[in-house]
Amino acid sequence: MISFFKTTTLLLTFSLTSFTNNAFAHHAFAAEFDRDKPISFTGTVTEMKWANPHAWIYVDVENSNGEIINWALETRAANNLIRLGWRPGDLPVGTILQIQGWQARNNTPTASLSAATLPDGRPLFSNSPN
Amino acid sequence: MSPYLFIFLVLVTGTVSGQNLPRDADGKPDLQGIWRPVNRASFDLEDHVARHDMPAGISVVDGGIIPYQPWAAEQKIQNFENRASMDPLNNCYLPGVPRIMAMESPFQIFQTTNHIAITFEWQQVYRLIYTNGSPPLYAGIESWMGNSRGHWEGDVLVVEVIDQNDKTWLDAAGNFHSNEIHVVERYRLIDKDTIEYEATIEDQNVFTRPWTIQLELQRQKHMNGILEYQCQAEKEEENGAFERDENTWYPALIPPNNEPFDPNAGQNIPLPTATEDISRLSDGTPNIGGYYMADAGGANYGLEEHEREILLPPSRGQVIDPIDGILPYQTWARSERIDRQLPHRGYDDPTAHCFVAGVPRSHYVPAPFFILQPPGYIVVLHERMSWRRIALNGEHSLPDTIRLWQGDSIGYWEEDTLIVESKNFNGKSWLNEVGDVVSHMQTVVETFTPVDENQIIYRATVSDPIPYTRPWTIEMPFNQEDEELLEVACLEDNADLQHLKDVQDEYRQNQNIE
Repeated sequence: MISFFKTTTLLLTFSLTSFTNNAFAHHAFAAEFDRDKPISFTGTVTEMKWANPHAWIYVDVENSNGEIINWALETRAANNLIRLGWRPGDLPVGTILQIQGWQARNNTPTASLSAATLPDGRPLFSNSPN
Repeated sequence: MSPYLFIFLVLVTGTVSGQNLPRDADGKPDLQGIWRPVNRASFDLEDHVARHDMPAGISVVDGGIIPYQPWAAEQKIQNFENRASMDPLNNCYLPGVPRIMAMESPFQIFQTTNHIAITFEWQQVYRLIYTNGSPPLYAGIESWMGNSRGHWEGDVLVVEVIDQNDKTWLDAAGNFHSNEIHVVERYRLIDKDTIEYEATIEDQNVFTRPWTIQLELQRQKHMNGILEYQCQAEKEEENGAFERDENTWYPALIPPNNEPFDPNAGQNIPLPTATEDISRLSDGTPNIGGYYMADAGGANYGLEEHEREILLPPSRGQVIDPIDGILPYQTWARSERIDRQLPHRGYDDPTAHCFVAGVPRSHYVPAPFFILQPPGYIVVLHERMSWRRIALNGEHSLPDTIRLWQGDSIGYWEEDTLIVESKNFNGKSWLNEVGDVVSHMQTVVETFTPVDENQIIYRATVSDPIPYTRPWTIEMPFNQEDEELLEVACLEDNADLQHLKDVQDEYRQNQNIE
């Protein structure tokens, strides 16, 4: 299933700097996630879990077989987002996101979010919600 | 407390006027010290007969009974019957207020004009109570311990606790609340060794009216400080989920093939000096109180300089001694450090389990921290739920056998630099996510030098003869900000650990390691 998402050119286009510091704050990301498993897809937000040291965005993604898979995407600390002005509810269920990241080594539908783009082209969590 | 006992105490101690109470520099009753509740309320706030896991006790609730709404009374019975699996404390979670105040362990209160801190042994939780009249910066953000704002009404400290979530219980018997809970606490010092504590609980979702509990808190005169109870770490050590590191944990010995440790090899680098006027307390001591974030330059991803990699942020390198920026590892310890960065070792990092980060890592995990300067102490409250107590001008008091994640710290001012010496570590910490090594034999000398009103230059010199050949020193600025701490309920929300465990399990399966 994962090969569907793989493209070898993705690494060149990933923003490596978008989620620094507080995104990597609690455990070794290179241990949990696999740099050889880049993911890139469009997903629909089903839930955001405001948690520390990492918040999670859950998105429904259709795979090549037409199945809907619910992915868990690890992002920054909730406290970091709160200090940027984000609040629970600012990322509504149904929001469509263009997503890039790296999949977990254990091959579950779990990924470290490296970049996410809102429908209007703004990077998610780049600054304040507005 | 019964009215008769209160009258008796008033007659004997003459405290009705409060004239004999210890007072702080502002004239407020001085609550600073180590306290412990005298009751069985942590088991059940209401009257309860003895059970296997629950000594009997008399109700601390006014009127004896908690005024539940009918549905909530049913829920409480369900909670009680299923308490072994449902009690949040059985998962080592944060207890909430007022439950934390009634628990068995002693706690320590630190008092300043603008803040009162309460530090607890349980999971190194703390409360930071703002008494400066400021409204909460992040009102509406729910947390396990809520947001505490206090003020003095005469000689009574009144604390309002808002924004608690609905995940905590009020005791071990399943008494509960919703996220509408509003708690008003009253701390009344009735003699120098006794606090009469009241908490009024209001929650229109669960109760029919507000109700009050009353506890007596006794000063623990025999104690110099409180210790640590890292509930989750103890649980995981017992069930094997967190494994002993024979090289670093107390009481590991210096490996026989080590190169000799040269304790005098460190360079004498002059302390930084202030570039501008610094803030001072009324006695002239530098005022370093407040909220800080380390400009750590990626110390949590390696203390030696390295470039950014995919899934690993860069580090600018924080080592100022040795001058080449390379940690002076013993050969075996360098190998261990390299091994720890392999994916199957990520699970072994204690902070991945949400355990306390140790010293100096707590300062650069990265998460902010808050420094308080109550009389006789420096107290550091870390947002990643842990605290450090630094006794000023004291002596180390712990026996060698007592080992702590945060160590035993004493401090003193030398001109405008705070110098902190720490030992009695347990050797369980890693210095960062890539596994820079430290053992129980580490001693740490830290310097906090304020260089202007908003910045401290921080240094830590680590001497550890197990993994190193000589002492080494790191340096980074701490920047003060006009901010407030939030809560990190790390264990409660740790979704990562199982993924890391899966990686380690798969590796061990492939290697045929048990």
